Amino acid sequence: MTAANMTTTDVLVIGGGLAGERCAIEAAAAGHDVLILSIVPPRRSHSCAAQGGMQAALGNCVKAEGDNPELHFLDTVRGSDWGADQEVAQIFAEEAPVAVRELAHYGMPWTRVRGGKNSYFIKGERVDIDESLENDGLIMHRDFGGTAKWRACYAAAGTGHAALYVMDSEVVRLGVTVRDRAEAVALIHEGGRCWGAVGRCLRTGAHFTVLAKATVIATGGYGRIYGQYTTNATINEGMGASIALDTGVVPLGNMEAVQFHPTGLSPSGILVTEGCRGDGGYLLDKDLNRFMVEAEPEKQELASRDVVSRHMAQCMRDGKGVETPYGPHLWLDIRHLGEKHLTTKLREVYDICRDFVGLNPVTELIPVRPTQHYSMGGIRVNKDGEAYNMAGLFAAGEAACWDMHGFNRLGGNSLAETVVAGRLVGRSAARFVTETNLDVSTSVALDAMREAESRAGAWLDRSGSGPSVFEIRDRMAETMISKVGIFRNGDELTEAVDEIEALITDCDRAVLRSKVPGMNPELTFALRLEGMLRLALVTAKGALVRCESRGAHFRTDYPLRNDRDWLKRTLVRWPDGAGEPEFSYEPVGLINLPPGYRGYGSDERIALETEVEAYNAAVIDEQSRQGRLATMEPMGSRMQWKDWAVRQ
Amino acid sequence: MTDDTLNVRAEEARSQLVYELISGASGLCLAVFMWGHMVLVGSILFGARGFDWLAGGLEDYYIAQPTVIFIIVLFLVHAVFASRKIPAQLRERKQMIRLARDLRESGSSRPVPGSDYVPFRPHVESMLWIWQVRTGMVILVLGSFHLVLLGLDVFTPMFGMHRGIESATTLARVSGGLWPLYAVLLLCVEFHAGVGLYRLAVKWGVGARLSRAALWKIEHVLFWIILGLGILTLVVLAGWLDPPLAFLLEAAP
Amino acid sequence: MERLGSQAMTEKTNTPPRRLRFEIFRFNPEVPESTPYMQSFEIDETPYMSLFIALNEIRERQDPSLQFDFSCRSAICGSCGMMVNGRPALGCRTLTADLPDTIRLHPLPVFKLIGDLSVDTGTWFREMAEQTEAWIHAREAFDPDAQEERMDDDLAEQIYERDRCIECGCCIASCGVANINPDFVAPAGLNRIARFMMDPRDSRDATDWFEVVSNDNGVFGCLGMMACHDICPKELPLLDVYAYLRRKALAARFSG
Ligand SMILES: Cc1cc2nc3c(=O)[nH]c(=O)nc-3n(C[C@H](O)[C@H](O)[C@H](O)COP(=O)(O)OP(=O)(O)OC[C@H]3O[C@@H](n4cnc5c(N)ncnc54)[C@H](O)[C@@H]3O)c2cc1C
Ligand code: HEM
Ligand code: HEM
Ligand code: SF4
Ligand code: F3S
Ligand code: FES
Repeated sequence: MTAANMTTTDVLVIGGGLAGERCAIEAAAAGHDVLILSIVPPRRSHSCAAQGGMQAALGNCVKAEGDNPELHFLDTVRGSDWGADQEVAQIFAEEAPVAVRELAHYGMPWTRVRGGKNSYFIKGERVDIDESLENDGLIMHRDFGGTAKWRACYAAAGTGHAALYVMDSEVVRLGVTVRDRAEAVALIHEGGRCWGAVGRCLRTGAHFTVLAKATVIATGGYGRIYGQYTTNATINEGMGASIALDTGVVPLGNMEAVQFHPTGLSPSGILVTEGCRGDGGYLLDKDLNRFMVEAEPEKQELASRDVVSRHMAQCMRDGKGVETPYGPHLWLDIRHLGEKHLTTKLREVYDICRDFVGLNPVTELIPVRPTQHYSMGGIRVNKDGEAYNMAGLFAAGEAACWDMHGFNRLGGNSLAETVVAGRLVGRSAARFVTETNLDVSTSVALDAMREAESRAGAWLDRSGSGPSVFEIRDRMAETMISKVGIFRNGDELTEAVDEIEALITDCDRAVLRSKVPGMNPELTFALRLEGMLRLALVTAKGALVRCESRGAHFRTDYPLRNDRDWLKRTLVRWPDGAGEPEFSYEPVGLINLPPGYRGYGSDERIALETEVEAYNAAVIDEQSRQGRLATMEPMGSRMQWKDWAVRQ
Repeated sequence: MTDDTLNVRAEEARSQLVYELISGASGLCLAVFMWGHMVLVGSILFGARGFDWLAGGLEDYYIAQPTVIFIIVLFLVHAVFASRKIPAQLRERKQMIRLARDLRESGSSRPVPGSDYVPFRPHVESMLWIWQVRTGMVILVLGSFHLVLLGLDVFTPMFGMHRGIESATTLARVSGGLWPLYAVLLLCVEFHAGVGLYRLAVKWGVGARLSRAALWKIEHVLFWIILGLGILTLVVLAGWLDPPLAFLLEAAP
Repeated sequence: MERLGSQAMTEKTNTPPRRLRFEIFRFNPEVPESTPYMQSFEIDETPYMSLFIALNEIRERQDPSLQFDFSCRSAICGSCGMMVNGRPALGCRTLTADLPDTIRLHPLPVFKLIGDLSVDTGTWFREMAEQTEAWIHAREAFDPDAQEERMDDDLAEQIYERDRCIECGCCIASCGVANINPDFVAPAGLNRIARFMMDPRDSRDATDWFEVVSNDNGVFGCLGMMACHDICPKELPLLDVYAYLRRKALAARFSG
């Protein structure tokens, strides 16, 4: 092994999105050597796609008056359909305001409160509100689904973009090394201790290793297991979760919890923001009927994401979708909002329609369909961001199942999660690094690299007449969207599991048609496909086993939430050499807010039979059995703000 | 970084600003001068009498002589400072030209149905810059020649050899074979000045107030007016047309 | 007459598909002794086909070795700048319907070529950020207990307008100067400078900026070719940015 393909560092951060970069900043500011690996230059990470906003209870505008972290916590837990780890949700809600203000310090151009008279569109109607002059110039909020107050802080229509850019500015300022066009393809680990990762350079196709005292996975979501039926970027292939699963010991949490957004543009899947409906847009079927009025007379188009998506899916199943070569879709009608509104307040939507479907939403209908949007599941980590069963491995952001989202993430909570978790996990990785040494023999790294190389080599060697990797991907996507989508049931899920297992077998005999050296794009994809299929399988299987409906996971054969049997989190590992994944379950965590009615959706459920105290006692038992400190932290108890690394 | 290097950088920044100002301001002055010049030369439209009366006046009151010197200096200064931006290597110039041509040719003015948005906005300004350099070079040669001739016209009377700028000499010169040179110079100067002023306005942000489209229109209108005047003048100077407005002066006692 | 989307859709699906011819620049530096060449592909146009869809189809059905970059496929991440018939454009946002039957694709110039249509914009932008110190030079450390500093919303909007740049590199590829002077901070760089210059949280003063901006690698390198402004897919008002920088330089010089 030469120096060129072996690097050492204190903290290796895999992923240059908001979560990864925030971790890197924390560790670098604490004086550690940090290296970021990213498939794309950090600023191209998918965090840049978030438009809407970032939840933080600052309570700066009139419609946010009286807001506080506790309300934010309550909304988050209700939103999660009680699937969340409530301690984490608490920590999150407490720290979100600080993280948002810190972004302002980094230079984020947050939209600010304008003192005096303001006009808003609330449920399609113009409302005038006087903002107090006292709050003029503070960070403004906008309304989002599932929250009691206006809480989403935003920068015009590009919150994620602006946040990612200032975050990356900090990374550049601190001189953190970023290796872009580099993909982590395996973790280097030995005896339950992680020592970095094997990477593959996407310029040359060469493998390399990074030895690190601590490794953080922040690779974002795995929406691409739904192929083109996702709002996610093409790089959201879940490689982080997949290399963690490959260790055989690290469990992924709640992989079946997959969020669908009602209005993905058809056919491309590009997100059309919820703001369209928030401002009074309608959904229409092929006969131009407003089907949501019958389905949900109360909230109509503005019911929660999972509810609206379910009605839309039903409508298309009933043959009321518009048939196209790209599959059926429904219409979104925002013509009545008027040209002025569309070209100002909804400018991004206007542009997207114009640029991608060549239509003008002022006069034409927008083709939409529910589309995979967010991965609540991911690498299961504890409060401090440590992965289970693997010292030195951390995860943050959408890649992790830190678990503040449970079975349904609220809009705006995930951007906030990336920065809050980023600072916390970065800090705990930094602490870990201070306490440990890099004492691993290079042969461990060498072996891991050889293995990765031979995996790639095997693909290049294989010949014959097997299926193409793209064909397998398309079949996986079809299976996932049609059988592990919005509506799920035992039969279809069983079929889905069988189909994906068959695809895994097919993948073993798939053949590359291009054997060019260098960054062979087909090989690059083939390597990812193996991991994606495994993720698809654990997702489908997890959904099959979970016989209840919770948040985004809806089983037509078990339509009720079942707190009696299923107030728990799915954990899945794929032991070395095992033919199939291994499922286990853990309690969702200590309960502060007892399970109840969410405030929307159905009020019917199978109630928890044990007392909350007994449930919590069981959780504490479980935690101590795993050697973890059992805590029930009071609100704000972890806010050691004064200890934070001083940046200057 | 030491204080010295800082000073050097600050010094450099100051001189770069000054160079930019010199090339822009000299261009602006030349362009304004050219308009006046076209009007003055256009006096030939009123016949020889008008032209001579004006030329004579300007010389008698010693306006012409210092102006000529000033313009010659300005002309050279502008040539030096403006051409510092021209890429030194042929390869670089070729690359710029290819790019500019591709950009121009790939433009479309076809809007998306139902809106005024054009996916591939038309773009000609890169190519216009290339032409500005080309015309600048032509002006350098022909303009210098012209300035030498006129310098001689204006200054030789001091030595008693001549009567200064005269319609007779001018007409003889232009109709006697120099008219093609003047035609080329005219076209180049008008183009160069028109585009130059438009660019200058955009560069310094007059565009922010006026919008580029408006500036583009103004540039076009001025270009055609001055060019029209110039062509008419040239036609008269070349002897193909009698001064059309001469009757005005002849009618006077 | 009001046009319904459904009608528009039918119109679009019913026209017989065009046969599109793609001429694509090919070069893989990892293959020793290979030389660049142009390769042709033909595919049938489908409704709403973008270059993202077209190129993926070519890769998946015809030549899986074809290299190009896409990520967000929604004109947000800036990965997919390429020369389309001689003009820089975002591949994901360019619909084939707006193009002639023959579509020529080249990688963006200026940036280092990685292979085929793929270029290294990331390194360029990181270097530019380091060179212009494109980050907030904060006056004091962050105080987690303090309320955020106030800012006028109009100013926030103006900063955001500068911040909308997605670093796709199209403007740079279209700028004659950037094509021949590698040290020119180029349109997106000037825009970035302006963004930090107008941010009151940044402690750099007019004199500091003067040195960065007022030279031939800064705003005075710009010849006013205006291609950047016409090409920028996010329609950033780049010309206004340069005018702002020029006037700032002038003011800095003559105010002390
Ligand atoms: C269209 C859209 C709109 C959204 N809008 C909102 C919103 O308004 N509010 C909100 O709160 N949330 C929103 N979200 C969700 C939110 O944007 C994401 O959850 C969040 O940005 C994820 O950030 P991240 O840092 O975890 O991952 P990402 O930003 O996805 O970053 C992942 C990083 O990992 C790298 N990477 C991946 N795999 C590897 C590998 N194997 N090796 C090396 N590097 C790798 C990638 O290059 C990238 O840098 C939206 C999501 C989408 C898709
Ligand atoms: C002597 C021959 C000349 C040469 C070689 C020349 C060359 C140039 C060049 C290369 C530029 C572009 C500079 C830049 O973009 O920064 C320029 C700009 C300009 N020129 Fe000339 N030019 C000449 C004569 C003239 C004349 C006679 C006029 C007036 C009629 C004129 C008016 C302008 C103007 C207004 C500009 C715009 C300045 C700017 O954009 O900063 N030039 N010239
Ligand atoms: C102060 C200096 C100048 C004087 C006194 C002057 C004078 C004249 C005169 C008398 C003519 C008529 C033709 C002739 O006699 O040859 C003329 C024509 C012309 N001059 Fe100049 N000139 C001056 C500078 C310039 C400059 C700097 C330019 C541009 C580079 C220029 C461009 C022209 C052109 C294009 C014509 C032809 C006009 C037409 O036919 O419409 N002149 N000038
Ligand atoms: S300024 Fe426009 S063209 Fe240039 S990099 Fe930014 S978004 Fe792209
Ligand atoms: S194209 Fe280049 S020359 Fe200036 S106006 Fe734009 S930077
Ligand atoms: S793929 Fe992101 S901008 Fe085109």
